[in-house]
Amino acid sequence: MKKTVIKYFIDFTDKQEKWLNEMAARGFRLVRCGKLMYKFEQSALAEYQYHVEFVGEKSHTKHTDYKRFLEDLGYRIICKNINLNWSIGKVRFRPWGDGAGKFATSPGAYSKELLIVEKRNDGKPFDLHTDTQDLAVYFKVVRNAYFCVGVMGIVFAALFTTSILTTFDFAWGVLPKWCGGVLFALVGIIGVFFGTKYALIAKQYSELGKTNE
Amino acid sequence: MRDNIKGGALTETTFLILLATCNPIHGYGIMQFIETETKGRVALGAGTLYGAINTLQKKGWIEPIGNSQNDVKKDYIITQLGKQVAADEQRRLVEISHLAEKVLGGISA
Repeated sequence: MKKTVIKYFIDFTDKQEKWLNEMAARGFRLVRCGKLMYKFEQSALAEYQYHVEFVGEKSHTKHTDYKRFLEDLGYRIICKNINLNWSIGKVRFRPWGDGAGKFATSPGAYSKELLIVEKRNDGKPFDLHTDTQDLAVYFKVVRNAYFCVGVMGIVFAALFTTSILTTFDFAWGVLPKWCGGVLFALVGIIGVFFGTKYALIAKQYSELGKTNE
Repeated sequence: MRDNIKGGALTETTFLILLATCNPIHGYGIMQFIETETKGRVALGAGTLYGAINTLQKKGWIEPIGNSQNDVKKDYIITQLGKQVAADEQRRLVEISHLAEKVLGGISA
């Protein structure tokens, strides 16, 4: 039996991973996914395990290298977007990126901010990061991405609610400008909220990393 | 990865990878070696392993064998420098083990 689900995750790593594992437990294996769509096929119950990894800070070269490394280990990889932009052939600036990862091109690393990693269930927990220092580094990257989006949201909300953006029409003038303010304020709040969540996780591992591995 | 240069202490991950690469070995082999040899106490995640391999290559402690980038599976081997670092760590661990024995006594369990 095939199954298609339309879904979007704001908590793109934790929640998404949990959901995919729940689907797998019920016997649905992820075949492929689109921007908002997940296609599943029937499999044995709990035959697969999933891990969702944020790689939005990586340049295209590093992204490809990492993906191949994981595939060499026998995992199946599905790339997943975070953004909901349908554009093709664009360059995006990602301030949280690392080196060349600051610029994302499509086709390239853009719209592939996440890796969904699948392995055959062997009864052991499935984690890609296992030592405290590495966990701290990883969660700091996730934290930075959320904070960055959050701050940009707040800045844009401020621009919309003040008169600075007088020449710019929100949604081509179809919607009143305060809608833009509300939308970006929402993005800002979400960004800061999850940024804080992952900041706390990163801090916990940093602290632990001072004495333990 | 943080390796304490002043004290010369390696992280456990680093030391285990150095030991695993004493024979040519690919990424999956390293994970298996570590899990088997530590009897499952240390299970290295793929992301952590990836970061560690890159760091150790940059430091020149391990190197890939074989030709270009397009190899299906890359094998890694410890370098001369890596062997030296591992030997230093072994010496340090023995020393600290002796100290612990002196202070705490022998291990009962």
